[in-house]
Amino acid sequence: MQNHIKDKIEAISARYPDKKSAIIPALDILQREKNNNLSSEDIREVAHYLGTTESRAYGVATYYTMFNVKPVGKYHLQVDTNIPGFLTGADEILKHLEKKLGIKSGQTTADELFTLTEVQDLGSCGTCPVIQVNDIYYENMTLEKTDMLIDSLRKGIMPEPDKTSYYSTECNILLKNRGKENSRSIKTYKSNGGYKTLEKALSMKPSDIIAAVKEAMLRGRGGAGFPAGLKWGFLPKNDDRPVYLICNADEGEPGTFKDRQIMEYDPHLLIEGIAISAYAIGAKKAFIYIRGEFRWIAEILEKAVKEAEDEGHLKYTDIVVHKGAGSYVCGDETALLESLEGKRGYPREKPPFPANKGLYNCPTIINNVETLATVPFIIEHGVEEFRKIGTTGNFGPKLYGVSGHVNRPGMYEFPLGTPLEKILDAAGGVKGKLKAVIVGGLSVPILRADEIKGLKMDYDSCLKAGTMLGSGGIMVINDTVSIPELTLRTIGFYAHESCGQCVPCRKGSHTIKELLKKILHKNGTEEDIELVLKLCRNIKGRTICPTGDAFSIPVEAMILKFRDEFDALVSN
Amino acid sequence: MELKKMIIDEREVFFEEGKTVLQVARENDIYIPSLCYHRKTGPAGRCRVCLVEVEGMRGLQTSCSLPAKEDMEVKTHTEEIIEAQKLFINLLLADGHHNCLSCEANGECELQQACYHLGIEVPAFQVDSLKEDYDDSGEMIRRDPNKCIHCGRCIDACNSVVVNEVLDFGYRGRDVKVICDNDLPMGDSQCVQCGECSQLCPVGAIIDKKSIGKGRTWELEKINTTCPYCGVGCQLTAYVDKKKNHIVKITGREVPPNDGMLCVKGRYGYEFVSHPDRLKYPMIKKDGKHVRVSWDEAIDYTAERIKTIIKRDGPDVFSAFGSGRITNESNYAIMKFTRAVIKTNNVDHCART
Ligand SMILES: Cc1cc2nc3c(=O)[nH]c(=O)nc-3n(C[C@H](O)[C@H](O)[C@H](O)COP(=O)(O)O)c2cc1C
Ligand code: SF4
Ligand code: SF4
Ligand code: SF4
Ligand code: SF4
Ligand code: FES
Repeated sequence: MQNHIKDKIEAISARYPDKKSAIIPALDILQREKNNNLSSEDIREVAHYLGTTESRAYGVATYYTMFNVKPVGKYHLQVDTNIPGFLTGADEILKHLEKKLGIKSGQTTADELFTLTEVQDLGSCGTCPVIQVNDIYYENMTLEKTDMLIDSLRKGIMPEPDKTSYYSTECNILLKNRGKENSRSIKTYKSNGGYKTLEKALSMKPSDIIAAVKEAMLRGRGGAGFPAGLKWGFLPKNDDRPVYLICNADEGEPGTFKDRQIMEYDPHLLIEGIAISAYAIGAKKAFIYIRGEFRWIAEILEKAVKEAEDEGHLKYTDIVVHKGAGSYVCGDETALLESLEGKRGYPREKPPFPANKGLYNCPTIINNVETLATVPFIIEHGVEEFRKIGTTGNFGPKLYGVSGHVNRPGMYEFPLGTPLEKILDAAGGVKGKLKAVIVGGLSVPILRADEIKGLKMDYDSCLKAGTMLGSGGIMVINDTVSIPELTLRTIGFYAHESCGQCVPCRKGSHTIKELLKKILHKNGTEEDIELVLKLCRNIKGRTICPTGDAFSIPVEAMILKFRDEFDALVSN
Repeated sequence: MELKKMIIDEREVFFEEGKTVLQVARENDIYIPSLCYHRKTGPAGRCRVCLVEVEGMRGLQTSCSLPAKEDMEVKTHTEEIIEAQKLFINLLLADGHHNCLSCEANGECELQQACYHLGIEVPAFQVDSLKEDYDDSGEMIRRDPNKCIHCGRCIDACNSVVVNEVLDFGYRGRDVKVICDNDLPMGDSQCVQCGECSQLCPVGAIIDKKSIGKGRTWELEKINTTCPYCGVGCQLTAYVDKKKNHIVKITGREVPPNDGMLCVKGRYGYEFVSHPDRLKYPMIKKDGKHVRVSWDEAIDYTAERIKTIIKRDGPDVFSAFGSGRITNESNYAIMKFTRAVIKTNNVDHCART
């Protein structure tokens, strides 16, 4: 390994309590130095350098999709064909590229200029279709823009990406700085009171902060809606191990693109939230685990952390931005811990829970970006003000990401409990005739058009309506869409992302995918549909992590609610 | 230790604190299908087949990771459990290539055993899956990925039991496979062919090459004995083809001192036992030819020669070598004999460098 690479790896590994944690960043550094490719020899060197086994390092390199163990061309074009992309024409773009470049997905052009890959969910649901070229996202793509992009790349120029995206806010909390000039600079942030709340918090007793968050009934925004204050209370008392806070910025579930709005446009809001929360739980070190594809956002965060440090706001807690490398399952909190420890993203069996045995076997709290970014408001304005927003037991603001068949897909901040119809109106209304809505990211049961009347978008109301608020990623589907096709896309995503650790998920997702393909190709039978349902029923609740539920629940709902469309495919 | 009581399938059973439900069931001869748990590698939670129903707990639990508790009431074969177990095993069968007819693991395979108990004769459904090649590069071990159920026992064994750190999982999802180092053929990797992975593989995905086709477990006599190679005294079981009077396979016994582990010599170096050149009785060279003699004659002859030579040339022309293959006590006796009887300090040991 050349010395300058060694120095870089050395510098990065010094940020972790255990240098094995630096394996993903180290592989990333090496890959960048080697024209975007990783050889077996590179991986072996990293293993030796960080003191881990060769097979462990190779297992890591082949687990995460962002490591190119097979060679790729100068420009790696990745087209996201997951649901929001599928709804907005990503398939056409992929086909167009295949024709234009004369290669299939997974191949490289003879001149080694382009590699084309079909990928699953880049977190751009509101700005689909998206093509990722090396580190850059080209969003809001059309066939025409695709042609322009390729022509430009052929000339060796990476064009400026189109950054348009729709948003609005009724609460002015999470998106309050969005749209301001230099919204991400510490100057802008401080100009209306930023970091004053942290000062206030540091003068409070940590237990009083925890009590306030508890009383505010702030529910986790990562998907499960678990009360944050209650989770913090699970930390063991009188324990001399260090405590860690991890901000989950993996944002990998199709339909979800909310956390990036905070991180990209108001990073200091998140950093202040992390600093307050870390102080409350006694964490001297906090990590932001951000999905690796959001490289430019990670850079924004790193810069913001540096600014906050320089201005003396991070004296209590040191914040490390850690980039993942392409794995949805690493959003699961225990998979995230493994990944952060430098391993494959294999979820752990629970118990023990992370509050007791988390990162490096130490007490650890993991919260979503939006959850932590909401904390400053509670401390600044008090519990009472916070509880004025939203509905009983579902207090506070919420980011709703709307994608698919609406006129203005984007990010809309409303109080929890806002009617779905109102949110859809804010998003410019439905394009065409509404057929179905998935209200909380791809892992929740789909709702038919007739089921959404009057639906309030909060945790309890969604549960009552037979679905879940999840991440608040709303995917709107009009009547041009075949639900069996949508179901295949759904399972396609999970089969691609399954970590492969447990049988029902590894083999189940693949088998369901194969059965649905068979049905869609009109080779299926009624028994195949029944078998898919039986698999869903049996997988639910029986896997190591909730990924098994995350596909069996929505797939089952799609079939049960749109059975006639499936029957039509098998009856003739 | 005080025993606690719990109920499994309406039967009262007693257990020591700290055991899992699967362990308690096994101790009481209650069979719960399980594919990934092994005492030495611990609960892995990967197969999800060891399901049980527990009074007062929602859903089904994996018994391998569930601590047994006083007064717990457990059911092991409700309809719900059996449906799930059958389905999960069918998933494995559908996307693998199993044919017990000529499989080396036949009769000792934990997947086959589970199928037998659940009455699965043929896979209930099939999905397309390509057949992969064996990895036959290892000197002693064959790996057959088509039969691998990804339980991870070999990996945990290699990393945590014998600590050779060769194996791990590579790739992801359905493409997951067990890799050696940088996904090298086993024979090119750092593997020392200790065979611990082969011993702990619950199916026929890692097998001992030399035993292939040499006899099925129930046709072979199993003889427990001590490894003759070194002084550690590893305990092993020799699988013997009685008719041919040949050892065809060796496995380690899970008792002290080796708890199942063996080295490459102990596990795979057994041909010498029936090698035609093997020295089986004492011989003395008479008229240029080795002739079989009795032990008494051999010992008398040797003693006589030692005495004569020492008398002629003094004790320092004598030297003795101990051996790593014999016990401490025997090595002590050699030392004592050399110093006290022969009266020389010329005593050494083959393991000294
Ligand atoms: C497969 C899977 C993926 C997940 N992905 C994310 C994610 O991308 N971001 C996130 O915040 N939570 C994700 N979660 C939920 C986390 O496990 C965890 O519950 C959450 O980060 C806790 O934060 P909260 O309580 O603030 O919501 C995921 C869970 C699973 C099972
Ligand atoms: S449910 Fe899926 S993602 Fe979760 S541990 Fe099992 S195989 Fe991995
Ligand atoms: S591994 Fe087991 S189930 Fe598979 S063929 Fe061999 S004996 Fe049969
Ligand atoms: S034979 Fe021994 S060293 Fe080789 S892979 Fe198996 S357990 Fe590891
Ligand atoms: S080779 Fe055997 S022990 Fe290893 S994972 Fe496969 S089935 Fe399990
Ligand atoms: S034996 Fe319990 S999950 Fe495999």
